[in-house]
Amino acid sequence: MKKWFSVTVFTLIAALALAGCGKSDSSDSASVASPSGEASAKSSEDPGKKVKISFVHWRGEDVKVFDELIAEFNKQHPNIEVEQNVLPSEQYLASAQAKLLDGTAGDIFAAFPGAQFETFAKANLYVDLTGSDFVSNYTENLIKAGQKDGKQYALPYQLVYNQPIYNKTIFEKLNLTPPKDWEGFLALCETLKKNGYIPIAFPGADIGPGQFINSMMMNNNTDEDIWDKVETGQAKLTEDWFVKTLSQIKELNDKGYFQPDSLGTSKDIAGSLFAQEKAAMLATGSYMMATNKEQNPNLVQGLLAPITVPADQAVYEGIHTTTFMLGINANSSKQDAARTFLAFLSQKENAEKYANETGQLVTVKDVQYNTPELAESALWTEKHTRFHPRYLITVAAIEKAVTSSIQNVIAGTDPAKAAADAQKVVDQNLKK
Amino acid sequence: MKTGKSLYLFVLPGLLIYLVFFVYPTLNGLVLSFSNWDGFTEKTWIGLDNYRKMLTGDDIFGKAFANNLKFMLSVVVFQTILSLMLAILLTKNTRTNVFFRSLYFFPTILSSVSVAFIWGFMYNPNVGVVNSALGKIGLDVLSHNWLGDPKIAIFSIAFVQVWAHTGQMVVVFVAGLQAIPHELYEAAYLDGAGRWQAFRNVTWPLVAPAATIVAAYTTIQSFKAFDLIFALTGGGPVYSTEILSTYIYHTAFQSSEFGYAAAQSMGFMIIIAVITFGQFKLLRGNRAL
Repeated sequence: MKKWFSVTVFTLIAALALAGCGKSDSSDSASVASPSGEASAKSSEDPGKKVKISFVHWRGEDVKVFDELIAEFNKQHPNIEVEQNVLPSEQYLASAQAKLLDGTAGDIFAAFPGAQFETFAKANLYVDLTGSDFVSNYTENLIKAGQKDGKQYALPYQLVYNQPIYNKTIFEKLNLTPPKDWEGFLALCETLKKNGYIPIAFPGADIGPGQFINSMMMNNNTDEDIWDKVETGQAKLTEDWFVKTLSQIKELNDKGYFQPDSLGTSKDIAGSLFAQEKAAMLATGSYMMATNKEQNPNLVQGLLAPITVPADQAVYEGIHTTTFMLGINANSSKQDAARTFLAFLSQKENAEKYANETGQLVTVKDVQYNTPELAESALWTEKHTRFHPRYLITVAAIEKAVTSSIQNVIAGTDPAKAAADAQKVVDQNLKK
Repeated sequence: MKTGKSLYLFVLPGLLIYLVFFVYPTLNGLVLSFSNWDGFTEKTWIGLDNYRKMLTGDDIFGKAFANNLKFMLSVVVFQTILSLMLAILLTKNTRTNVFFRSLYFFPTILSSVSVAFIWGFMYNPNVGVVNSALGKIGLDVLSHNWLGDPKIAIFSIAFVQVWAHTGQMVVVFVAGLQAIPHELYEAAYLDGAGRWQAFRNVTWPLVAPAATIVAAYTTIQSFKAFDLIFALTGGGPVYSTEILSTYIYHTAFQSSEFGYAAAQSMGFMIIIAVITFGQFKLLRGNRAL
């Protein structure tokens, strides 16, 4: 009996010990992280020894160009090997969490701006990059999304314009130019429709609502703190600016300016409608221009943003995002090697290679773009654009309520009711 | 006696797996459900706040539960009836019947994600085969935005679930039908019974235990239909296909509210336990038939 009892107790202890092996306790991880994020705190590298660092990001489409850049980096730094770990963007936070916390991967890692960056920063996952030489390679006002409490924790590498793309050839053929006000935008859509084009290809099933909301609301409420106010209860979605935004989106849908059944249309299908020149505008962003061009090499593309107010009341011309924010993991034991790689990526010629091969604008200064799409997008750096408002929503449930309200009005719900439904979710998730 | 005790050692591997992969995570989840944790920073103890929010302050949780019930009822009713009808037609072991049974079973071997991709493309309102086929046979009026219309999206997915799993249930019913002694039908027909009466008085009572197994399995399967819904609509549009499992996922991995997601999981576990208990009672009742 005693033996049997011992066996049972041993089994239970073994079971719990085994289960405990996989546990990543946040308090343990937090204790090894440097509160200040100083590089020296966790650097234990031997200069002569070969070091392998992990680069965690979500851009599977960039693996090839990063492989080429890494090969070039290895020529200059033969002792540092860089391994890419690509995680799906939809599950990036969840997938990266354990790896970044215990420092086993992600010595250098990418993050989205807004809520995700805030989460990583709050967990003390970033090494402070303030004052590093390579930070000065970036355009100063384009790296603000990676700053917190006066420190530069991450460097946004990509610059994206999250506003509709338009087909310049179709516009020229119909003698159309990007309009300056809402009436002009409606007239533009009507002309396109009358001439047999889908005015706007809208990927309502996935990214469309989250992209289109930005340019549609940018001038309806010009307060850059509006989402913080909504999240803390100081402003409500039932106010005029949001109901007006929803009403204008509904108007576009009800007048047939989106393709039929837009809520069942994915990004790829909407992109195809645009690339095949069936649609004159695509409600996504500059990041799709390269893909569109691959599908139709004859496509000539430009960017525009719907101006939802009279021309004299318009404050912003478009929407920009600085994203793919590169940071160094404060829990990494190879911070110096990671810093060397980040400095390499920050060099003008390497950023230029990345930009021209991926079709993405970058935030590094003085880069020369060699494709018409990039050159077209680069013109927008001179314009007065607003930082992607939706990224400033830090509560995911509220963000979803906002994008769902757009789907709701397209599905036929009255804008005031859709706004009230969304506000109800906001009320249940107010920040304390 | 000594030999008897040593036999307990045989259950140890199973017990160990159960403790590690079920008991420990469940207890850990229970503890987590009383805390506020974003997955990165320190957990903070908040008592019953998560449960309070789930029961009184979260409309989406209620909506997800309602969607779960809609999905479950649609799938259970249609899948059970359809699979029974097909099984009756395919009971005999002829070559043709074996071929059709295999054909209907085929979708079962596909992964849910593959099924979702296939149907996502077929349902597409712009390029999908479903609407264009309806148009070709003059039924344009039935064309819909199958996954984009919040009113019908959950039923469109339920149809895919039925398509994918009916063949599996046909096999269960065929086994039940083949176990019915042929003499009972002969006796019924000698007593003047028609086909419907034979079904009602012979087939149904004897196939009822199989029907209960099918209904029980289908219920649990439809409650857990995470992968199909996640890959087809991700819970949208406007939460119309959000079910409890997808909502828990979104709460944990998109909102980073791991404590609240743990509380939702506890709620989900209780719901599944209650349904399973009800079905268990029903199954026992049918065995007594």
